[in-house]
Amino acid sequence: MKKKKMRTEGVSQMFLHGGKNVRASMCLMGLGQLLYGQIGKGLLYLFVLALAVFYFVQRGFADIAGLITLGTKEADTWLGIEGDNSVIMLLMGILSVIAAICLLVCYLSNVKDAYETQKICERGGKPASFREDLKQFLDKKFYKTVLFLPILGVCVFNILPIIFMIAIAFTNYGGTIVPPKLVDWVGGSNFVKLATLSQFSPTFLKILSWNIIWAVLSTALNYFAGLGLALLLNKDCVKGKALWRAFPVLAYAVPGFITLLGFKFMFSYGGPINQIITGMGQKAVGFLDIDAKWIARLIGLLVNAWISVPSIMLLATGLLSNRDASQMESAKIDGANAFQQFRHITLPFVLFSTTPVLISQFIGNFNNFGIFFFLRGGLYIDGYFLASDTDLLINWLYNLSINNNYYSIGATISLVIFVITSLISLSIYTGSASYREEDTFR
Amino acid sequence: MRKKGYRLLAGLLCIGLLSGCGGNAGGNDGKGSGGNSAGTDTQNAQTGDGAAADLSNIYTGELERNVTIRVLENDTAIEQGYFQELIDAFNEAYAEYGIVAVDANMDQYSNLADDGPYGYGPDVLYQANDVLMKYVDGKHIYPIPVQNLECYAQIPDRAWEAYRREIDGTTYYMAVPVNVQTSMLYYRKDLLPENWETEWDDNGNGIPDMVESWSAMYRFSKLRMEEKEGQYGYMRSMYDVYFSSSFLFSYGGYVFGNNNTDPSDLGFSAGDSWMGASVLLQQASLMNEGCIDDTITVNAYSKLADGTYFATMTTPDVYTLFLKELILAYQGQGMSEEEARALAEENLVMTKVPMLPASADLTEENPELIPLKTMGGVNGYGISAYTKAPNACLAFVEFATSYDMIMRRCELLGIAPARSDVASQRGGTSEMIYQSLEEGNVVLMPSITEVDQIWTPAQSFFSDLAKDAFREPGERKYDDPDKLKAGLTQVDTQIYDAIFTLSGN
Repeated sequence: MKKKKMRTEGVSQMFLHGGKNVRASMCLMGLGQLLYGQIGKGLLYLFVLALAVFYFVQRGFADIAGLITLGTKEADTWLGIEGDNSVIMLLMGILSVIAAICLLVCYLSNVKDAYETQKICERGGKPASFREDLKQFLDKKFYKTVLFLPILGVCVFNILPIIFMIAIAFTNYGGTIVPPKLVDWVGGSNFVKLATLSQFSPTFLKILSWNIIWAVLSTALNYFAGLGLALLLNKDCVKGKALWRAFPVLAYAVPGFITLLGFKFMFSYGGPINQIITGMGQKAVGFLDIDAKWIARLIGLLVNAWISVPSIMLLATGLLSNRDASQMESAKIDGANAFQQFRHITLPFVLFSTTPVLISQFIGNFNNFGIFFFLRGGLYIDGYFLASDTDLLINWLYNLSINNNYYSIGATISLVIFVITSLISLSIYTGSASYREEDTFR
Repeated sequence: MRKKGYRLLAGLLCIGLLSGCGGNAGGNDGKGSGGNSAGTDTQNAQTGDGAAADLSNIYTGELERNVTIRVLENDTAIEQGYFQELIDAFNEAYAEYGIVAVDANMDQYSNLADDGPYGYGPDVLYQANDVLMKYVDGKHIYPIPVQNLECYAQIPDRAWEAYRREIDGTTYYMAVPVNVQTSMLYYRKDLLPENWETEWDDNGNGIPDMVESWSAMYRFSKLRMEEKEGQYGYMRSMYDVYFSSSFLFSYGGYVFGNNNTDPSDLGFSAGDSWMGASVLLQQASLMNEGCIDDTITVNAYSKLADGTYFATMTTPDVYTLFLKELILAYQGQGMSEEEARALAEENLVMTKVPMLPASADLTEENPELIPLKTMGGVNGYGISAYTKAPNACLAFVEFATSYDMIMRRCELLGIAPARSDVASQRGGTSEMIYQSLEEGNVVLMPSITEVDQIWTPAQSFFSDLAKDAFREPGERKYDDPDKLKAGLTQVDTQIYDAIFTLSGN
């Protein structure tokens, strides 16, 4: 809070106490620097401004206008009318807003730079030359040089799609309204629809509650099974550890969807498990069929463990090798049994290091699309709106947005999922030792 | 002096920048006028909205020269070498214009609506009617002046119907039919009872009763099951909407109303369609649990070959897969490849599907029979609205649908042609399917976008129905007509919800 106040004061200081060169920079980017004789830097700022002006005149302003209207002319290929593509306009509009923000940041940095130079001159110093400024980027400001490309990449490949998805949630994109038809802004009506549609809410609540149970159970199962396996294979009495560790790694190495299709076949009526059951004279079991609600859920948990446990095992194996042997020895001398040693030494030690991994596992499981899509996709169950009783929110989202083309509703559900997972992850993380005792080395 | 110089330089640069802005501002004016012209375009578009598109705007009649057209064909045609023959012949015929047809090299199920607007789609597409007609709403494909094509008179109206669409009062044809796809019955002649000619041919027409009527098939299936455990008669995975919905259509069910064009009128529960569901339930009772999921679909080839199954129903394009498995089975019995092939070709029979009892009671003696109306599709060639050479594309479509090329397609791929002259020349299955289409016993898949929403709800119902045959008597969900009707009504509701609940965006 204090930091923010100081920053605001700093900005107002610049505008209130800036000299004529600072004001020149306020009027035209780079002008103040040129007046201080910083030709290179001044030209660079001017070049950025010229580039921005060129971009905005050429298309930036039109893109921003397009972001507001999402198009006014519908395409008609038969009549040779090119028309507007609302989705592209939305994307380009977001890009132009990002460009405008970048320009604003450059502008503020230009004013700040001019103000800092003014202060140097007031103290009797000399404005830094372009070469000296550049050197800074290899020295004090090296972090900026290094982070520039990754941040650019994150903006383009992460932030832009996320903003795009968020924006889609506020449009009517989907159903019959797909390009070349024009998409329009609809405000928060998709959220209202999600909350008020009579068919929607019961299904949403049912799927959400199963989704939370699934995420908690599968994360706990994978984590403790992985840790247990690592502890087991860490025992001195186990012979041929490398060989035993290789088996789970093999399961991990096989692409997930192939494993899932393999399991689907194994549990199908014609699969080997039912062959054995019928071979013993028993009736075939519908492990994944329309009535198999809890059996299918259990199979999903176990198959997910098959895929995920090896990665936890490998992680835990690495961590266990750093365990303080003397601590374990002392505990043993003090009379702690194996479970007490695990409960009070091993588990806190592993948990401390793996809380972020645990959270990512939780989010991954919460949004685990593949498991039930491959094991039991293509079913709608009575009492569920276009979903089955094993579907997670992400599967339902797929049914609605891809199967049924309701992209805007899909984006709305995505946002809800995002809020839920963020809240859960943040509350777990901020309450964990990993966060509270961040600086502690164990 | 130096300071003055900097000021001068700064001043000059500012002027330059501002004049640049001015220049750009001029550019902006230009764009503004573009904006005006765009406004005029909008006006044109608005006035043009009600007007019918004039096809002479698209097809000028003058072939584009030195162009390459990308053709999307189905994988089987490419693998069997037919497509290469087709483009070689076309390229030779149109060499003087410099028109070259090439493989679009895309997935056969690629979506033109996604790729076309960005210039990635093919120029000519060979796809099923439900896929091609999805592109009409967004005008992603061009209408075709089919009346001018040589094949027009040879293709029956029912096949053209699959590609007909009325827009703003004008009727357009969106593609040219090439082949008809529908269900066929596959059975093993050598698994027929030895006395079939005396005991299983009531009408004495030389065709076994079990492949003429579902009632006889039911009796025969029961007999085979009683004869030996683990041996079955007719087998089919019930969840498959393409095959199972045929039984509903035969008793008055349909997909969409108004000749499959009105998605607000769902008809899975229409008429006495529950009787079709009842037939499926009776059939499932003589199968194993494999009919609930895709087990039978997957193992039908090997199980028919090893004699576990007597018959199954599927599309004609997989004949070679059944044949291959049967040859292998015979070879396993010690025959040479030649002997095995000859015997397999003799014993593996693909024929039209049996008829249904009007009462839907498969146990009825001497029932009145009605035809099974199978779901089908018509594959054809369409022209992308994003092509730069519509005239060359039209020439390609005309060439590919000519008598010679369709005949060659039949020879190499064993398809059932939409052209009557080729069908009658080829005879056999081709003619049989053509006749079924003509007689109205092939219900074409709807050619509207909403057809995408029918599969999962219907598939869920058919799975549940098949499962019912294996539930304990007290737990059965579909043990009376009312429950069957309720189940089918639920399918209609789910499809309606999928289409309309969120469409009021």
